[in-house]
Amino acid sequence: MARIIVVTSGKGGVGKTTSAAAISTGLALRGKKTVVIDFDVGLRNLDLIMGCERRVVYDLVNVIQGEAGLNQALIRDKRVENLFILPASQTRDKDALTQEGVAEILEKLKDEFDFIICDSPAGIERGAQLAMYFADEAIVVTNPEVSSVRDSDRILGLLASKTQRAERGGDPIKEHLLVTRYNPERVTTGDMLTLEDIREILSVHLLGLIPESEAVLRASNQGVPVTHDASSDAGQAYSDTVSRLLGEELPLRFHEVQRKGLLSRMFGGSRR
Amino acid sequence: MSLNADSADVAFTFKGGMLPMTVMELTSADPEHIRRQLAGKLSQSPAFFQHTPVVLSVEKLDEPHLALERICAVCRDHKLLPVAVRGGSEPVRQSAWALGLGWFAPVEEGRARALESVSRTPEPADDEASSVSASATDEISSHAATRLFRGTVRSGQQVSAADGDLIVIGAVNAGAEVLAAGSIHVYGALRGRALAGIHGNTHAGIYCRELEAELLSVAGNYKRMEDIDSQLLGRAAEVHFTKEQLEIKPLG
Repeated sequence: MARIIVVTSGKGGVGKTTSAAAISTGLALRGKKTVVIDFDVGLRNLDLIMGCERRVVYDLVNVIQGEAGLNQALIRDKRVENLFILPASQTRDKDALTQEGVAEILEKLKDEFDFIICDSPAGIERGAQLAMYFADEAIVVTNPEVSSVRDSDRILGLLASKTQRAERGGDPIKEHLLVTRYNPERVTTGDMLTLEDIREILSVHLLGLIPESEAVLRASNQGVPVTHDASSDAGQAYSDTVSRLLGEELPLRFHEVQRKGLLSRMFGGSRR
Repeated sequence: MSLNADSADVAFTFKGGMLPMTVMELTSADPEHIRRQLAGKLSQSPAFFQHTPVVLSVEKLDEPHLALERICAVCRDHKLLPVAVRGGSEPVRQSAWALGLGWFAPVEEGRARALESVSRTPEPADDEASSVSASATDEISSHAATRLFRGTVRSGQQVSAADGDLIVIGAVNAGAEVLAAGSIHVYGALRGRALAGIHGNTHAGIYCRELEAELLSVAGNYKRMEDIDSQLLGRAAEVHFTKEQLEIKPLG
């Protein structure tokens, strides 16, 4: 049975899609059969980040409306075995998604996959609620800034009330915090919230911390999930995150200001 | 403060009572529709409309939001005195309280609640009873009305104790709201809004481990974060209504 994990945040632009792509890639690299679903109907991005935008024929809405089979819509990743992408529709809007349709798709995927990663749209409207509704676990992506933390807090409230698990009253959704775009230097100067502040306000288990990194931007634009860039700080941080998701206990990295040596001071930092 | 029920100079005693009450069962949420029908009735039987107390029952309406204030105004124009609302959604309940009206649970639920607390009168005033009384019998009902919430109250969430005290073991985050007929105790940081004594109990208080509140209110007397002495922020604090104003003091 698959673990259904929603990647969500409330606020837009904090790195949900980047994280969904990086984590699903990381899981597949560990041999876990993984599918990542783009729930952002109308603003489809996941296919770009995953570098498969030219291979999209059918999408989530087509499957829900019975215009295509699930296997026709699933795109096999070219770089990693075991990784599949179910893209969103760019031409429809979120009303095209139905709870029954989503339930049916997840039910079919559950038997075949180890992990189902749902990439949620921003906001707290229908699309976001459908992305989280059937989840077993949630990764709440947060930037070290006040508005992002407050929106994540709101999402955590919805996870505890507006999901199938909450409505049935069984085990609650397992919540994980993923802090992205963390820049220790700017935290030190007070431009950003500290990791401790975020953890104290949200009081949720910390799954990982991704440093602000040029590698992420480069990865997005090239359509190669940053997990493939094993030499980069962000790539390693996502890899740690995946390990923790699989139950390993790893110390936190990249959350402290690194003392720069003479060479790196002369030739620039190591964040490339 | 202690009220000794045995002493001679008691100002009042609480008693349960079953009073005849007219229930006005609304089948339309449109104030103008109601006004037209009331005008017709008034001309037929003017004797009935002598500031008669009525309970507005909205159970038959499937409206999450009601123009309650306008409906009440229409009633008062026709010499009916709305005293309470029965049924309706959470927003309806909140606006009833905001208008100084009582709120009754819908009939079925109401019966269950009545069984739960046999000795208590279902008047809004009973909230004062539970927080003021010192007698042993009331101890039980005030205990039953206390609500305990474990965990973080998150932005956008509202936790309320309609009949008594609210205890939160955790933080109340910015954008969250906690309400209680009695006092509010937060064993954590209070960053959101806290409204104690929502039915007018001025003896209610707010207690928290770390004061960062957006808004504090006791029986409708409020202070915004801007009005709070910054020396008190970030510390354990207690809030009371004394000398006609909200007083915030460090706790302990």
